[in-house]
Amino acid sequence: MMLTKFVTKPVFGLVVLGSGLLLPALEPSKVSGPPKDAWPMTIGDYSGRRFSPLSKINDSNVNSLSLAWVYRTNSGSGFASSIKATPVLVDGILYFSVPDKVWAVDARTGHEVWQFSWTSTGGIHIGSRGVAISGNSLYFETPDCHLVALNTKDGKERWRSSICDLDQMYFGSAAPLVINNHVIAGVSGDDLDAPGYIESHDPETGKLQWRWYAHPQPGEPEAKTWPNTEAMLHGGGMTWGAYAYDSELNLLYFGTGNPQPVIAGKGREGDNLYTESIIALNPDTGKLAWYFQVSPHDTHDWDGVEAPVLIDGEIDGKPRKLLAQASRNGYFFVLDRTNGKNIVTKTFAKANWAKGLDAKGQPIPNPAKMPQIDGVLVSPNQAGAANWPPPSFSPLTGLFYVNATDAYSVYYIYDNDIKPEGWGGNDHGGWSQSALRAIDYKTGQIKWSHTWEGTGGPRSGVLSTAGNLVFAADSSSNFVALDAQKGQPLWHTNLGTGMSNAPMTYELDGTQYLVVAAGDTLFGFAMLAK
Amino acid sequence: MGKGRSREQWTAVVNAMVARGAKATDAELVQIAEYLTAKLGPNSGTEAPATRAGRGSASAPVAGRGPGPLGAGAANSHVVDDAGAERGKAVYTAECITCHGLNGRGGNETLPAEQRGPDLVRSVLVLHDRYGNEIGPFLAKNHPLRSGRKGSSLTQEQVGDLAHFLHQTVYYTLRSGPMLKVQNILTGDPKAGAAYFNGDGKCSTCHSPSGDLAGVGKKYDAPTLQTKFLFPRSVGFGRAGARTAAAKPVTVTVTLADGSVAEGVLDRLDDFNVSLRDAQGQYKSFKITPQVKVVKHDPYAMHVTLLDQYTDKNIHDIVAYLESLK
Ligand code: HEC
Ligand code: HEC
Repeated sequence: MMLTKFVTKPVFGLVVLGSGLLLPALEPSKVSGPPKDAWPMTIGDYSGRRFSPLSKINDSNVNSLSLAWVYRTNSGSGFASSIKATPVLVDGILYFSVPDKVWAVDARTGHEVWQFSWTSTGGIHIGSRGVAISGNSLYFETPDCHLVALNTKDGKERWRSSICDLDQMYFGSAAPLVINNHVIAGVSGDDLDAPGYIESHDPETGKLQWRWYAHPQPGEPEAKTWPNTEAMLHGGGMTWGAYAYDSELNLLYFGTGNPQPVIAGKGREGDNLYTESIIALNPDTGKLAWYFQVSPHDTHDWDGVEAPVLIDGEIDGKPRKLLAQASRNGYFFVLDRTNGKNIVTKTFAKANWAKGLDAKGQPIPNPAKMPQIDGVLVSPNQAGAANWPPPSFSPLTGLFYVNATDAYSVYYIYDNDIKPEGWGGNDHGGWSQSALRAIDYKTGQIKWSHTWEGTGGPRSGVLSTAGNLVFAADSSSNFVALDAQKGQPLWHTNLGTGMSNAPMTYELDGTQYLVVAAGDTLFGFAMLAK
Repeated sequence: MGKGRSREQWTAVVNAMVARGAKATDAELVQIAEYLTAKLGPNSGTEAPATRAGRGSASAPVAGRGPGPLGAGAANSHVVDDAGAERGKAVYTAECITCHGLNGRGGNETLPAEQRGPDLVRSVLVLHDRYGNEIGPFLAKNHPLRSGRKGSSLTQEQVGDLAHFLHQTVYYTLRSGPMLKVQNILTGDPKAGAAYFNGDGKCSTCHSPSGDLAGVGKKYDAPTLQTKFLFPRSVGFGRAGARTAAAKPVTVTVTLADGSVAEGVLDRLDDFNVSLRDAQGQYKSFKITPQVKVVKHDPYAMHVTLLDQYTDKNIHDIVAYLESLK
């Protein structure tokens, strides 16, 4: 493709792929990703890498990208209307959600095909992280604790199934994942001390197939990580993050959320399994295969639900099946996904709360950095070094890309009761600075870090492509394309509002599109100039 | 969203917004926190339906007497009547407290098992209750009372009042609970704080206890002092925290390709553009190219650097010292 527009910035990225400083790990033609003309699940494909093998839009021509269409949902302002979902693309139609609403939109034109509205009976409307599609059914969660199936043709409801109890302050926000004849759905909510769990439902009828609780059963060895059964059965560990799946191993992967009570941990001495853990389950039975705890006994609200990213990589010259997570607590983990054994643990942002690593590669929390009555200075802050916005891994560069935040705040205990409940404290004040970081999965070393000017940070996901590009948001509402190998910005456009989801890409009729959301609006970009 | 939060909680929300990049002067931030507290705080009364965005129901609970931020819980949650809860507390103290604990979190471990009442805040029966419709029938089934009478002897009104009290206890446990407040933080040693101020902290290179920081211990309460010296752009706690000085702006010097210079208060800076307001109040913006030099001056830069250096002891000693500057 010719460079047709006047290039206003020096383009460092005019390198033919493969000629850059880093040698690509693989040939572009050999890497897998979502099919060219689809983005079949919110996470792209089961690996959760959010990497696209498409390269029509690439580092040499990204400067001529133009706006192809805009779809404004007009669904109000604030949390409840912000599009956090990465759209799913099937047969030329994009499907996405916000709390209580789902849309089908033409992927070529941005025209609405149908929309669905749900009448809510409550629940926290903080976000809807996407829909799942299988056959002619679409699945999504509502804040009022329902898993709902719609017909993809017309958006009519097929069935609804209750997944949680609003009175216990649970709510729904996660994007379900379909694995064979299972719709996997997790739950949210950490206002009261309730146990986290994840469920599987029948795609045809909505019937519950199994439920796995994020706590051991009384009497199991892991139950010793709680002082008593009552604390364990009210210990949290919600499952509102992204899921991933390895079909060869037949394992479902996800992270669990913070333990309860959230900040005041006095009544739950011990590691508190299986909160803030990376979990592998058999999706047919809901049986636990292995776990790895990223934050034993957390007291900072650092849900370990950040997207698990499946990497087929090489360690010490041997091909390995790996799983990587850039966790909210500031640590980057690489595990062997066949058995959960740790390979890499390294900070990717400021983190002052751990005393070191244990034999399993898990950080050891420093009691002095747990919340205190008179306050304790902790990094990262409650929002975390990373959060739910998904990262991306490019098999071509071997780099894991994450919008990372260096931050400090002061954590206080407010409730000094011998048995605190709920939150019992909070963090206060703060400073933060964000950067897009590229991490070498083999070592955890940061290969490059591009600081976003301005205080505070973007909470946006990342996409990488075979065009040697990484797409992410900065702190000033810009949607930015960077050189995947070197990290310098090549192209940007200001969306007017901060990017609110993770971008996705696809090719239809020979044109590669790039779709991103900011607030209540979906933007479609493409190379339109001939 | 966020009904029923106290000023402290709204201040925390505003601070989180600042930490995430919201731009406003301190005075504006204080106004926002005050406004939110007045409109949506514990005493704000019923919210206008228009602001109840996203609840999708007309029966959302009354501020402070129903579930907390962002509308946790069911839209038809129990709405607490404060007077009823007060009366219910008396019934609870008289008839339940010995077995279910001071604040409903379960009976003392020293009680014999059959008398050790379970946690009522975590009780699904209580959470499912509306105005006594679950609690009443449960107690009527021969539940023991402290007085030795039967649960069935409680009147309809007493059951209703107990329900108000128990739901209030539940709501107070949510992160927005009005009882959740910063406690005593004055644990440091003022002498050690003074030594750090003049020594390793190098605070005295920019501040003086008899100059700009004279009376700072009177100006702010201790928790606010702690927030203000760690993160000068954050709003402090409570009323005193609300009266903080306006944060000093970041300024910027932009040197253009032709050597001309523009200076002023930074408006916005990213990888591509920079904008400022100059001394005359004129707004200017520039495209950033390799030939354009942009230098930021953050008056609080040292305060950010110091975050990597303080021990928690330093922090509490400094607060104790600053507090003594009355
Ligand atoms: C003598 C001790 C005792 C007293 C007094 C007592 N309780 Fe209980 N309560 C218990 C025990 C033990 C249980 C658990 C066994 C059961 O369910 O009956 C219990 C259970 C309950 C439960 C059911 C909790 C659940 O989730 O299943 C409720 C509600 C309750 N009590 C409320 C009250 C109230 C309100 C009062 C005062 C009006 C009261 N109790 C007085 C001992 C007591
Ligand atoms: C390099 C200069 C510099 C250093 C070193 C420095 N500060 Fe500051 N500090 C500032 C500036 C500038 C302000 C903003 C003052 C204003 O707004 O008038 C400030 C604000 C403050 C405030 C808030 C005052 C108010 O009235 O709101 C406190 C308290 C404070 N600093 C304490 C300290 C302490 C304690 C140290 C050492 C640990 C320290 N500072 C080190 C420059 C510095």
